[in-house]
Amino acid sequence: MADRKNFSRYNMRCGILLHAKEGKTRISDLKLPELDSRYLVLTGSDLPGTNSISFMGRSMPLIAKETISYKDQIVLALFAPDYESAELMMREIQLSTEPLKEQPEAVTLPDSLEYSWGEMEENKEDKYREITTTFNLTRIARPNRKLYTVTAWMEGSNMHIEAPSQWVELIRDTVERATGYPKRNIIVHLLSYTAKHDEFLIEPAVLAAIAATATIRTGLPSEIREECYFSRPTVNVKRKVLLDEDMKPQFETAEMTIDQGAFAFAPEEYQRQAMTGLIPPYPLKGFRGSVKIISSPSHPASFCGSLGYSEALSSTEYHISRLAESAGMTPNLYRQMIEKDKRKFTDYIPGFDLTQQKKCMDKVVASSSFDRKWSANTFQKEDFGLLGYLKGIGMASGAGIAGFSTTLSKETGFSAMMTFTQKHNVTINTSALTHQGTMKSWKKRIAERIIPDRPEGVMFLDPGPDTIDSGPDVLSRLVASFTLQLESAAKRLSVLKDTEKLPVSIQFDAENTYYPCEFENSGYGAIVCEVVIDKATMIPQVKGIWASLSFPSIMDRVSLENSVRRTIMMTLQENGMSIPLSFHIDVEITEDGTDDTISSIQQLARGLTLGALYNALHQAVGGKADALPISDAEINLAFTGAEK
Amino acid sequence: MKIDCTIDGKTLTLSLNSDKPLSLILRENMGDDCHVNHCNGSMCGLCTVLLDGKAVLSCMVPAFEIRGKTVTTFDSFRRTKNMKDIEKAYESVGRYPCTECYASRSLIFESLIDEGITDPETILKELSIVRCPCMDPEDEVQIVLKGIEIRRKRNVRRS
Repeated sequence: MADRKNFSRYNMRCGILLHAKEGKTRISDLKLPELDSRYLVLTGSDLPGTNSISFMGRSMPLIAKETISYKDQIVLALFAPDYESAELMMREIQLSTEPLKEQPEAVTLPDSLEYSWGEMEENKEDKYREITTTFNLTRIARPNRKLYTVTAWMEGSNMHIEAPSQWVELIRDTVERATGYPKRNIIVHLLSYTAKHDEFLIEPAVLAAIAATATIRTGLPSEIREECYFSRPTVNVKRKVLLDEDMKPQFETAEMTIDQGAFAFAPEEYQRQAMTGLIPPYPLKGFRGSVKIISSPSHPASFCGSLGYSEALSSTEYHISRLAESAGMTPNLYRQMIEKDKRKFTDYIPGFDLTQQKKCMDKVVASSSFDRKWSANTFQKEDFGLLGYLKGIGMASGAGIAGFSTTLSKETGFSAMMTFTQKHNVTINTSALTHQGTMKSWKKRIAERIIPDRPEGVMFLDPGPDTIDSGPDVLSRLVASFTLQLESAAKRLSVLKDTEKLPVSIQFDAENTYYPCEFENSGYGAIVCEVVIDKATMIPQVKGIWASLSFPSIMDRVSLENSVRRTIMMTLQENGMSIPLSFHIDVEITEDGTDDTISSIQQLARGLTLGALYNALHQAVGGKADALPISDAEINLAFTGAEK
Repeated sequence: MKIDCTIDGKTLTLSLNSDKPLSLILRENMGDDCHVNHCNGSMCGLCTVLLDGKAVLSCMVPAFEIRGKTVTTFDSFRRTKNMKDIEKAYESVGRYPCTECYASRSLIFESLIDEGITDPETILKELSIVRCPCMDPEDEVQIVLKGIEIRRKRNVRRS
């Protein structure tokens, strides 16, 4: 990798951005002060190329031109010799907006994704018992408060960009489209980052395009400093189920609506992932599911650690617990009654064996005394007057999935190339060069198959103009799917190196695309969450978490356990939970030794925590907890009956 | 104004605005982009540094406050023996902070270990300045207690 040029900060332009204060408006006036040659203002019409970023077939403007689609959209960029001057000058800029009278240009959204089996039956003569449940997750949108910088500078005919990024190719592509600078001459230097909510997927590419334009215009290195932003979409799931006299579900409809904000990124993939989580694990005579994406004048939702699967899985788990409640059984016993040993095979997830998942459930149920606590809380609820018992325990269990769906993998064609050289070394050409720890593990695994005991002979080629695009580093796909693809390629290369003339190369898909379904199940888990509402302050507190997870193979047990714990902690806190001193997490991880894909730990642990938490809150405050995240004020309002 | 201070072992005389936050001095004047955040006082906790051995939020410390004092950032602290004690404590407990708050949390752990604080409530109060939710309270207390034990053993061996 080329070293960053050591230029002085005195010869640099520092950029800050002006964000819109309101969405769905029109720019009526933009007054700029008199600026000397040390300053540069970039608006939507100042970009020499296309003012848009394109992500998996969908695009969004880099800088708002006439209409502002959402609050916090970039309106202009101001570059100055230093940040203080830029801040002072930004105060002089006056932006006036007016509400849009006509409807803004509609964002192209995909049709609702439908999936069904069996013939749906009407509930004539009250043959069945009908139960309806709703599951709501409200938008979480806030800056991370973490500052990051994107720098652009020119060196000869090359444009250098330094940024944290989950997808280097997206930066190169966006800079090329915005500036017209040839992609071959754009070199990206990757800064280290931690993307808890996929903050470094879209925004760094937008900033890189703006900084690169400023560099071309001024001829000086340019830097933009920004707080990283993340946004979780609003999710609403409505389910209607018909139960027979034994309280077993027979027919079910599930409608999921996702508000992805002003612009939707990969909405079709979101629908597929969400549908996979929406399909219930128990047998049904008829099922009809739909996933609809809608838009609103709010910040576009990023992947946020999941692309719909976690949310849909947690909604299914919430639904099962409500059915158990209606049947007067504990969720654990109810699941044992309705679930078979194997799931139904669908287009989205195969008919896998539920034994491993049930084992995880049994472990957490036993360690947390779930059945006893659940029953006690239910009985006590009735005897505690107006406020209720204010204690709840919830459970969720499910299987994990990894990476992108088969359909998307086939459409995108992300790949990589492995070569066995004449010097008996192995070189890998891929853009997936993100974390040193992962690369070390890859080197070890590849060397084991081709050049045993010589991991130093495995080399990842430095990024350059000929680097092959292996896709974004999201949904843990580089750890999950890509590791398997690397191993499979190494196996094939170990045979070819003895039969073919050296050097010998093979190009392979970055994603495993041989599934008969959209996703393959991988890894199972169950989580129990215990919640108590403080009677004086109404602050929801988590007393404890019990988790049991099972994965096909474990590369690094300590890292895996830390990752699971972090995901659980993050999910609890971002949904408004307070963590008392006595809080504890019991995590048990087992290795089942199968050859399955490694699942996205984040997605699975997040989905299960969300499901268990929602169930626990429901038991603690009843139907009054109608959405997550929840706060003490909302619980208080729910009990006092006042309107929000 | 001119301010004399020691940053990461270097004695410096800086010409600055007296109210410039320490986090910006470190980012802009010292070029430490990696370990010091600047959130304009939103209490993200990711800008922690040691000021005369005590963990402080650098975005809340104005330039005049550092006159004659010693500032230690994670960049220099990570190469010290004290950091090795903290790493041993992480290893021993089996938990470690995420990469985002690793620097800040490690510096707060150092401040607590150095002062020998064992009261769980005080430990958690000090650590609450880091907003990152990657660690649970039980583990944080365990790490501090283990760190104190490791530091004590090292000091005994040295004496």
